[in-house]
Amino acid sequence: MASTQSSSVPSRGGGGGDGEKRLEALALDKVAEAADAVASAACAGEVVRAVHAVASLLFPVDSATVAGTVEEPFRSQIIEAATLSNDERDSWRCAFYQGPAFPTMSKILLGNVAMKWLRKIHASARNEIYDSFFVKGPPVEVIQALIPALSEKEDSKEDHQTFFSNLERLLILCLLDNKGVFQIVAEFASSNKHGDGIVNPDKTIFISRVAQLLTSVPDKARLGASAALTSPSFFKDVISQLLAGAEAVTVEFAADKDANEHCALSSMFHFLGEVLSRVSRRGSIGILVAELIPRIRNHLHRCVPADYKAISPNMIEHVSQSQFWFNMVEAMRDQHSVERLTEELLRQLASNHISDGEAYWILWTLFNQSFKRLTVMRNADITAAIGLCLEKLTKKELETTKDVLNSILQGVSCRLESPIDLIRKMASAIALTFSKVVDPKNPLYLDENCCENVDWEFGILSPKEIKAPLQAVESRKKPKTCENKRNAGEKKEKAIKHDIPGVRAKIVEIKLDHDQRSDTATSEQFEEEFDRESMNTDASGDSSLEPYDLSDDDTDLQKKFSHLSDLAAALRKPDDSDGVDNALSSAEKFVRASPDELRHNSGDLVRALVHVRCSDVAMEGEEDSAEEKRQKALIALLVTCPFESLDVLTKLLYSSSVDVSQRILIIDAMTEAAQELAEAKIVKTEHHGNLITDTSPSWLVPSNRGPPGAGPWREVSEPGTLLSWSHRYEREVPSRSGQVKSGKSRKWGLGKAKDLQVGWSRNRFPLYAAAFMLPVMQGYDKRSHGVDLLNRDFVVLGKLIYMLGVCMKSMAMHPEASALAPALLDMIRSRDVSLHAEAYVRRSVLFAASCILVSLHPSYVASSLIEGNKDISTGLEWIRTWALQVAESDPDTECMSMAMTCLRLHSEMALQTSRALESADHSKAGRALPSKLDSIIIPFGNMM
Amino acid sequence: MASIEQPRRRRPPPDPIAVLRGHRAAVNDTCFHPSLPLLFSGAADGELRAWDTASHRTVSSVWAHAGSAGVYSVAAGAGLGNKIISQGRDGTCKCWGIEEDGLSRKPLFTVKTSTYHFCKMSLVKSPSTDARSGSSCSTSDVEPPRVSIEQNTESRGANPTEAPQEHDQCTTSNGHNMLAIAGQESSQVELWDITNARKIITLPQACSADTTDHPTKRKGLCMAVQAFIPCESVGYVNILSSYEDGSTLWWDVRKPGLPLSSVKYHSESALSIAIDGFCNGGISGGADDKVVMFTLDHPKGTITLRKEIELERSGIAGTAIRPDNKIAATAGWDHRIRVYNYNKGNALAVLKYHSDSCNAVTFSSDSKLMASCSADTTVALWELYPPKPQSKVEITQTD
Repeated sequence: MASTQSSSVPSRGGGGGDGEKRLEALALDKVAEAADAVASAACAGEVVRAVHAVASLLFPVDSATVAGTVEEPFRSQIIEAATLSNDERDSWRCAFYQGPAFPTMSKILLGNVAMKWLRKIHASARNEIYDSFFVKGPPVEVIQALIPALSEKEDSKEDHQTFFSNLERLLILCLLDNKGVFQIVAEFASSNKHGDGIVNPDKTIFISRVAQLLTSVPDKARLGASAALTSPSFFKDVISQLLAGAEAVTVEFAADKDANEHCALSSMFHFLGEVLSRVSRRGSIGILVAELIPRIRNHLHRCVPADYKAISPNMIEHVSQSQFWFNMVEAMRDQHSVERLTEELLRQLASNHISDGEAYWILWTLFNQSFKRLTVMRNADITAAIGLCLEKLTKKELETTKDVLNSILQGVSCRLESPIDLIRKMASAIALTFSKVVDPKNPLYLDENCCENVDWEFGILSPKEIKAPLQAVESRKKPKTCENKRNAGEKKEKAIKHDIPGVRAKIVEIKLDHDQRSDTATSEQFEEEFDRESMNTDASGDSSLEPYDLSDDDTDLQKKFSHLSDLAAALRKPDDSDGVDNALSSAEKFVRASPDELRHNSGDLVRALVHVRCSDVAMEGEEDSAEEKRQKALIALLVTCPFESLDVLTKLLYSSSVDVSQRILIIDAMTEAAQELAEAKIVKTEHHGNLITDTSPSWLVPSNRGPPGAGPWREVSEPGTLLSWSHRYEREVPSRSGQVKSGKSRKWGLGKAKDLQVGWSRNRFPLYAAAFMLPVMQGYDKRSHGVDLLNRDFVVLGKLIYMLGVCMKSMAMHPEASALAPALLDMIRSRDVSLHAEAYVRRSVLFAASCILVSLHPSYVASSLIEGNKDISTGLEWIRTWALQVAESDPDTECMSMAMTCLRLHSEMALQTSRALESADHSKAGRALPSKLDSIIIPFGNMM
Repeated sequence: MASIEQPRRRRPPPDPIAVLRGHRAAVNDTCFHPSLPLLFSGAADGELRAWDTASHRTVSSVWAHAGSAGVYSVAAGAGLGNKIISQGRDGTCKCWGIEEDGLSRKPLFTVKTSTYHFCKMSLVKSPSTDARSGSSCSTSDVEPPRVSIEQNTESRGANPTEAPQEHDQCTTSNGHNMLAIAGQESSQVELWDITNARKIITLPQACSADTTDHPTKRKGLCMAVQAFIPCESVGYVNILSSYEDGSTLWWDVRKPGLPLSSVKYHSESALSIAIDGFCNGGISGGADDKVVMFTLDHPKGTITLRKEIELERSGIAGTAIRPDNKIAATAGWDHRIRVYNYNKGNALAVLKYHSDSCNAVTFSSDSKLMASCSADTTVALWELYPPKPQSKVEITQTD
């Protein structure tokens, strides 16, 4: 479980780099020490001491409490550990969390410590030394360690359970109980407090990543995880912390004048926007809005004294928290999310029966700023255009065209009521210009800021933007403007044909005031005229150019692979992810078609498949399906040309060029291929915790599942046939309702009842069994570069043994089973394997042992006893004694129950063997019972 | 815009009216004869074929550019008369005569341009070549096109062997015996006199090429050129050239040192450019996922973006505008020919026939046929939005 430093941690300021680096290296050394100690620990006390040694460097640990939970000599070691001053601890902590030490430590804590030791550590010690790493660390770093771990896979059910429940506990502790999100917000804000004013792109990406991680928690949490991690409650909590945090930070910054406010807030708002957008994209916008409305109402109540009837924008603007609410919506860059937010907001405002007035101010607070930036821009354009027009008009012209007078007065009065002060400023500018036309000596100043020469740019427009409307209007000259104004009245009706209910109307009214409408008309006319012009240049118009069906799919573009070598070549091009994806999708089908060249290319293809990096090529969220395709393709290869593929795979398995996941892939593929070759579907382990599903009373009697009312199974004896040794059972089955009664009984045998002969020969696995098993049984205990099955990669070992068990089971009752069983027995009998520290490996061994018991033919066992074949008899006896030992003393409960099953299978086998011996005895009369019989224990003889 | 339009069922896109098979390698370029029912196509193995567009049969075939060089581009124009030009990747452009039984056996003459790049040559297009009426840009009051190189003393200095008299002879006749092509130094554009096999001018001018602020060197290879003579330039050749970095430059031979205008519409290499019949605008495609329609503002000498069309799949190898300026077509790496309304810029059709990357698309001079060629070794003929026979009503409308 070597760890790599997460590369997404942004580099921090370069000052004091040397000292920091040194301390980081020291911290990493400490972690390495702890890791070694944990790995070699024999008891919980040792683990506590090791973890404590690191924790005490970083946090003020109550060593006495920790020491109280463990035995000597660790107790005194813990108490003797040096205590540091607060300053020292701070610098250690800084180095620990900034450097690679924390990711490494967290891997150890979440992996080995959590799975093996945590439940043996006293809760108080756990709080002090284990949880502090996560709770007291910077939450940004902590979630980068915790959340990705959520998508890791643990193999056995129990490990899975332990691993994830601990992980989820920590997440709840850090993010929810400890207000981690609040802290993250504060951290983002403060990290840039006195920065250089630029949020660099790395940082932006980093912030997005943190937001993505945070919002992915509900998706990644298991089904059975705590309710606090399900999306409704998790998001609710996160959003409430986020809003509270961001609001607090904004207030703090408003107070702190010397801080570089804009910059600091921009990263915080970026984070806020990212999280909110992602929450919305995950369909939880309802939760967001439900959290938002009460908060913003509170805020509004805070802004306005209770006895006040009317609210004015000033009152809101003066409260410092408002700055946050003004910016919140703008922080959401994702247009879709903003739309969803708006929609949901309107819906909830309506369903909560919030008064129109209040709803208006809620919307105003949230969207006012965005309007300022967008609508106001357009409004300013228009105002400038009209203003410049007005300047050119004379009083007489104005009077002769009455509509203009009316329109302008209406427009101005409408705008003067606008809550956006820039719009009001525009209105007063128009009013001023207008008044100058009417009476140049008596200009109308509606606003003390008004000056003689109006600045039509209002300080927001760039010269370029204002140029266009200016030209347009001037070219049109006065009479046309008046004409447009007249048209405006007619077009007005058209413009407001949106049927907007309730609250929304209010927003729209702000947008669609009179002057703007008149100008839309102008621009419409422009377009019309432009169109006509372009029509003129075009001889016969475009009416004949009706589009064809423009739908387009890319089915024909997907590369069809016609050669296996192309397929392998495509898999080897990691930069062409589409090609790899495509190759993966078609690989299985292609291989199953088993073209002639398959035999020659299979090795190459196998290598390419093992080495392809699915996670790099697949789109986010589709890695699993890509992995699945890869595995299926490998299985197909193994099934269609086993020898060639196995040759490569078994070599790759112990090669240092593959990593653990690829080893596991190889083993999984071999397991499934063995089953497919044998057509013996055994229940997948992922769904069933038990490796052996044993619901049947006897080892060969079929399961009792079936229609209700079915009778018990009875053995059918068929002496004299080829298959006499196979066990056949029958039972009475009641006919289904509506079924025509045509027969009485159903028969069950090893094969399918109908074609026993075919069914028997269909098991192709025994032919390949040796190729499957023998190569992988060599060298599992070798320790070389990157390969260490017995210790570090015990998961691979467990899987390997499981695979071997499945192989045995797949050739049950075939002579090959008898030939291969001694080798497998040899392997699992070795102390390193059978007494492996990991329960996972022991379980696999139990499974393999059970499989051996199931797959050996009783007559073979009998004959080996008679002939004095020591391998088999001692091996079987070992299984019994070992299983007995496990059943009695193994700390793992699942191991114990499996050992019991194994013992029962052993006794079943012994019974069958003794029967076989009897018949052998019978046929070869006079031959004495072999002396070896005592090595087979007759059932129930000494089990109890 | 197209998506807003009515969702009612539309006709399925048409199939090609004919597929011309016979080439043994990717077909790189194709062009129609300006007046005869002939189509020429050049393939990557060096074969140049002439096809009868009525019978869809091969009329004749020559190995134009030997061996691996291949024919990269073919061009025919009214100005050339009964000749076509093929450009090979062997550093030559060859001119072939069209005889009764197809192509002449041997090239009439060969122009050694010594260029080995990825830029298809361009003949000079001028509004007067568009025989159809309806043009807003009447050329009657304009003098016949000419390139007056004698005003450019620098260019003469660069080619001291050329005599001024010859210049006059070859440039004042018309623009149609000239071709534009990316130069030996492939960030440059060269204008060649075809009949005399002589380089007329290099853009940017050679003398300024060594300075640090070289106008085109940093833009990479020149990937496409289009030469034209707009009415406004009084007969001087203008050139649009597209570069590897996605930028497009507008040159006037009267100012060979610096381009009139430079714009960058593409984020990756711009691969093709076509100009409309009035020389007032055009369309360009590149390796990115955009097709850009632009207009040329002649008085100001600026290129302005008219319409940007986003594509689903990137890569446009060829573009063409129909002589009547109604539709434009693009040949895509995604095996599709896409047709657009040239005036409005909306998509009209996605034509799926080719099974490999499309290399070029072209329209016949009567606007009735379109031909597309592809790396799948075929040339497809299409009939799209056939132009209506021009009636009197329409003509009066125009005026």
